[in-house]
Amino acid sequence: MLSRKGSRLTERNVDDLLEKLRGLFSDITAKDIMVTNIISLTKDRTMWQAKELMRICKISGVPIVDNDNHLLGLVSIEDIILALEGNHITDPIEKHMTKDLITFAPDVDLEGLIERFNRYRYGRFPVVDSEGRLLGIISKKDIIGAILDKFRIIYVHDARRKEVLERNVDWFDRSLISGDYVEKKSADFLFHIDYTEVDMAGVGSAKLKSYLKTRTDDDSLVRRVSIACYEAEVNVVIHSGSEGYIYAWYDESVIRVRVEDYGKGIENVEQAMKEGFSTASDHVRELGFGAGMGLPNMHRYSDKMVVVSEARKGVVVEMNFYRNGRK
Amino acid sequence: MKLSEIVQLLNCETLNSVDDSNPEIASVGAADLMSDVLAFGGPGMILVTGLNSPQCVRTASVVGASAVLIIRKRNVPETTIELAKELQMPLLHARMSMYKACGILFEKQISDALEEGKQID
Repeated sequence: MLSRKGSRLTERNVDDLLEKLRGLFSDITAKDIMVTNIISLTKDRTMWQAKELMRICKISGVPIVDNDNHLLGLVSIEDIILALEGNHITDPIEKHMTKDLITFAPDVDLEGLIERFNRYRYGRFPVVDSEGRLLGIISKKDIIGAILDKFRIIYVHDARRKEVLERNVDWFDRSLISGDYVEKKSADFLFHIDYTEVDMAGVGSAKLKSYLKTRTDDDSLVRRVSIACYEAEVNVVIHSGSEGYIYAWYDESVIRVRVEDYGKGIENVEQAMKEGFSTASDHVRELGFGAGMGLPNMHRYSDKMVVVSEARKGVVVEMNFYRNGRK
Repeated sequence: MKLSEIVQLLNCETLNSVDDSNPEIASVGAADLMSDVLAFGGPGMILVTGLNSPQCVRTASVVGASAVLIIRKRNVPETTIELAKELQMPLLHARMSMYKACGILFEKQISDALEEGKQID
């Protein structure tokens, strides 16, 4: 799912990935990640019922709670196997569930989560409040999902960039998101960023906003597109030292925006993606920009985003905004 | 709160048409950093800023703000006023310190747009 075509995620490279990412996502806590629509059982049910529930719902563990949702234990596949072997599958759960549980508080941060996953080597951990009530469940998959969700770009961007750069295709002619050739002439909206005055920055995005308003009543969608495009346009003006173009394609379900320039490019995209990192001049900062929020803001408002850049060859930012997107 | 009330409270100069047809001000967002406004600003807020370039009006328009209040001792450039007209963004100017302007609005218990935006985020 994550790595290059054909190869699969192994335990090992999941660990490597988590290790690499832990510093970047220190504001993620257990309660942001946990799955909250949990299927649970009470202790008076039988192991057989637990087994059936796990089979039907395709889950590998069931938390056992009392009537006030206090966590009492967990039935894992291992417990089921033991119950089958020991021929006590018809016993009440209470007798055979795992009671000695490692749980998380909702405010444990990502670093703490990874540390505990490494230390205890269980597949999933319940999250409980201070009174021991079950709030959610976290598995390794949830951690990766949350990270990807928060920072979808890292992977897509890395893989796609490698692909486009290594195959030496002209990435100015290809969609960074779909990989298809981009028919620029088919764009519903085109704006040429042909000025270098910072004061002018945003003119194209304002035009895009007016255009989109003629196509849809979805103000929040229009707003997301305009904001992200504005940041991209400001970047072209203050960083590229060249001209650029804004392309937009309007579709019922998705608005695609592509902003490209032929300027000096981004030396290190990962660094540029971090909030607060900027190479802007003091003059630009005085105008209220250059605070290192540009790419993070584009990412925040778009549903999919890919940046490809190479020093001295320019930057292409491609963003998709889905009608039923997040905000 | 009505925009006209803010005009009175802060003794603002109105640089384009401000009347009762203006939308209600739901919240206040104070920032000089336009990226912060883009990140956390939202519809219905009044942008209070020390920045007087056209950028502040354009940013406010993009995030869907209801008005812009420039806090400055000096005059607001023509280009900014022109753009506000073009984008139909009510533009106010108050000759007082940012601290005082925000203090007066804060006393009226108008909510903090940028702080709320962060929480949604």
